[in-house]
Amino acid sequence: MKRAHSTALMLLVAAALTVPAGSGLRAQSSNNAQAQKPPEPMKLKVGDIAPDFTLLTTDGQGVKPISLHDYKGKKNVALAFYVFAFTGG
Amino acid sequence: MKAFQANLQKLEASDTQVLGVSVDTPFSNHKFAEENSVTFPLLSDPDGKTIDDYGLLRTMNVKGKDAVTGQEVSVPIKTARRATFLIDKDGKIIEESVDREAVDPTKIVEACERRRLGK
Repeated sequence: MKRAHSTALMLLVAAALTVPAGSGLRAQSSNNAQAQKPPEPMKLKVGDIAPDFTLLTTDGQGVKPISLHDYKGKKNVALAFYVFAFTGG
Repeated sequence: MKAFQANLQKLEASDTQVLGVSVDTPFSNHKFAEENSVTFPLLSDPDGKTIDDYGLLRTMNVKGKDAVTGQEVSVPIKTARRATFLIDKDGKIIEESVDREAVDPTKIVEACERRRLGK
């Protein structure tokens, strides 16, 4: 039951994030005091060492871990953080 | 996400692996990747630990009607601030973009290409 409820909420989140600009939901968030603040400075700066991580991905066959250190000495990494996967960009 | 996919060839030609990170589960990421032809790995950080390590963990209050009770609700959800880091082979951050700027990967792609040509 709890799971069904949270699934319903996630669907609401999806709906809220896909409403067009100018709708009531966007108007509410632009009135939010947080939206008026200047952008926060970044914790990590150019020149800093990127924190290592091990996170899971899946290719549909199985779940596998990927770590930042897997690429050390081999490749650059473009690490893109998303609000949610299904949002723009 | 799709903007990075569109630039994937350029990034790979510059010896760069693209990785996406969000609080989504591996399975919802996989579904998204399949439906949108995203071929780079999408990593799942459901508890936000890595997102927090990078200083990007945010609480978003999502407002709407509860689908079950019909009542107005505001649901706090932990998620990531939009940002991209370009990390070199030594593990050092060499370029970063945040918020609106991070939606367009041009800055990151150009930094990769400059680096490739410089070597």
